[in-house]
Amino acid sequence: MSELLAKVAEILGAPETLVQRSAEARAEASGNTVDEVLQSWAGGEAIAASAPEVKEEVAVVEEAPVEEVKEEVAVVEEVKEEVAVVEEAVEQVFEEESVELKNESSLAFITGVIGVAIFTYFFAFAIPKNQSQDLVAESLNNEIEVSQEVLKGAQVYNELNCQSCHTQNVRLLIPDSQNGKILKNRFADEVIIKNTGLLRLGPDLSTSATREPTNNKSWLSRYLKDSASVRDKIPHPNYDFLTSTDLDYLLTYLLSLGEVNE
Amino acid sequence: MKIKLIPKNEQDLSKVFIFLLPLVVVLSALLNFLKEVFRSFANVLPGNQILNYGLLDKISNQVTYNFLFSFTLVVTVVYLLSKSLGRTIIIFPIFFLTGLGVIGVEFVDVVIGFVSPNLLLDLGNSSVLLLLKTLIVGAFLGLILLNVLAKKEPSIFLSSQFLVGAVIFYLISLLVYRSDFVVMSDNFYVNAVYLSTHIYVGCSFVFLAILYFLITKGLQATLFSKTLGGISFWGYLFLLPWTGFKYFYGTTLPDWIENVSIYLSLSLIIPLLALIVNYSKTVITKENKDPIFSVLISFAFVVFGFTNVLQVISSISNVTPIVSLTNFEYSVRYGYMYSLILILIPFVYHLVPKIYGREFIYGRLETFNAYLMGMSVVLGLSLNALIGINSGFAWNAGANAGNPTIYGEGFLITWSLISTPYTFNLFLSLLFLLSTFLFTLSTLKAIIGGAVTESETVSEVSGGTYE
Repeated sequence: MSELLAKVAEILGAPETLVQRSAEARAEASGNTVDEVLQSWAGGEAIAASAPEVKEEVAVVEEAPVEEVKEEVAVVEEVKEEVAVVEEAVEQVFEEESVELKNESSLAFITGVIGVAIFTYFFAFAIPKNQSQDLVAESLNNEIEVSQEVLKGAQVYNELNCQSCHTQNVRLLIPDSQNGKILKNRFADEVIIKNTGLLRLGPDLSTSATREPTNNKSWLSRYLKDSASVRDKIPHPNYDFLTSTDLDYLLTYLLSLGEVNE
Repeated sequence: MKIKLIPKNEQDLSKVFIFLLPLVVVLSALLNFLKEVFRSFANVLPGNQILNYGLLDKISNQVTYNFLFSFTLVVTVVYLLSKSLGRTIIIFPIFFLTGLGVIGVEFVDVVIGFVSPNLLLDLGNSSVLLLLKTLIVGAFLGLILLNVLAKKEPSIFLSSQFLVGAVIFYLISLLVYRSDFVVMSDNFYVNAVYLSTHIYVGCSFVFLAILYFLITKGLQATLFSKTLGGISFWGYLFLLPWTGFKYFYGTTLPDWIENVSIYLSLSLIIPLLALIVNYSKTVITKENKDPIFSVLISFAFVVFGFTNVLQVISSISNVTPIVSLTNFEYSVRYGYMYSLILILIPFVYHLVPKIYGREFIYGRLETFNAYLMGMSVVLGLSLNALIGINSGFAWNAGANAGNPTIYGEGFLITWSLISTPYTFNLFLSLLFLLSTFLFTLSTLKAIIGGAVTESETVSEVSGGTYE
């Protein structure tokens, strides 16, 4: 049958799979075998067609590819090829569907999506962000003096992406207040704001300068250069590649965390 | 195999992209693996300005969520847009240049990360480069909308709809990222919205665009219901941008937005069910019986579905405080991104014969690789979720015991809970890297040595436009 199928597909200029499907549908509707249908399409005698047969054919096409017609060009072409194989009534069904589908406007679709995007931007971002800033402004009346060394250290901290592991007290109840220098710098620098961290993985460093041993400069220096020499149970990167200036800035910043600056 | 440097149409451009896509995936997997290595063995490995966990983490995120994402988005738009609108892309030369621009500016960030790590932060936010990126993505969106308006088909194929949604929210994410930091809570806002629009909406919409294309054209199945497709599209469009806030539960975000996020995340079940029904009913009618092709699509779909389930689970009121600000969110983020990477595999395999005119044969290598990649991704997601729950419990227990910062011994307990899953994660990232190499190998093998077959040509439906 495959040779016959290939022959018919060549005559009709349609893919074999589609010819096969059409032939099966036709065979089922007419009560003939698939071979007989293919024979008739290949140039043999026409098989007996009856009124119900046409109806059935329409139903088959409706059931299978019409949904695809809505969807894609190539499939539309396939359907057209299949239509050519069967009856005119099928063509009508296709056209009716097309007319119905024309009502779907891409302009309306684009407007809808842009509308949702604008809604999201304002209601999920712009408005609540302003609300939060007002809330913080009410709860925070102080400006914090931060030395240039601390700011440079904060920048080194950010460049090394330390906040990727070290969460810095993100579980706040009162926004931006009473939580140590790192969170209170409303007017300091955005780089410090970014250092708050977003993942509860490493130890919180927001008050690290208030406790042992991280309030000890020489211990910190040793730990940052060769962490395994101090603690070997927890992997911590070695920052022995830092220049002595950058390391000093970083230490200054870390030792400033936790200072109360009312 | 001829690849034109200056393509004349989308078919030529797709040739270049399909060739490069596996290599970009390998780059992403390689950086992810290096990152994992430097986390697990940080204190015994020699480090420098680039080879340290912090910077690798930053660059890996940049490559995966920005560069790979933008590359995939442009590839998908270039190939699928014309196919689903029934016409060749209008003003193709400008479209080509804009697409390259989108990928180019994202790649500049990656290069800067390697060449000058100190500049990565400055160029990644509130910068001239970000402004340029926003303008180029805006132009890219404009060209896409122009094409959609000039469509020659009576209906927009679902794939086009998802692509339009992805690009619009990509643009929104860039606008959000340009926002000024004034107070600490701005950090959470920017991250929550950027996360939701860029990764959740962006990745999942490109994934869904490819999925709908593959289950109808690739599997040669009849789409079960366009209405269900519409429900999943509008459902995800409305809900996904709001789902990121819940992972910042308890922070300085206002309570109302955290609550809205929780309820809307629970509602994700609606578009998910619509998608599952549509997918299952459609796949039943498939005519392409190739088992590996189906398996690859199924893995991607399972990962996407699993990710949505994780989103819903994390919205349960008892669970949200535990999983917020933990690796649990990472597993959701990975889920959206890796379902996209997984669906790229059958997409590329499907396009090799169509674009290059070379037959693609699913041999033992492809079969092995399909399961290797699928399993490594599914297990990776599960492990990240486990790490998130473990560390969340430890942090909450510490807070209840009067030590909200998990310091000293408290952190040793946390680490003992999560170190083993991290080690497994490292192993899985190695397997994933291996599978991306095999994917590249399969693709190159088919492109270079596959039997010649008939390739697709760019065709346009005759007749005028409908609008």
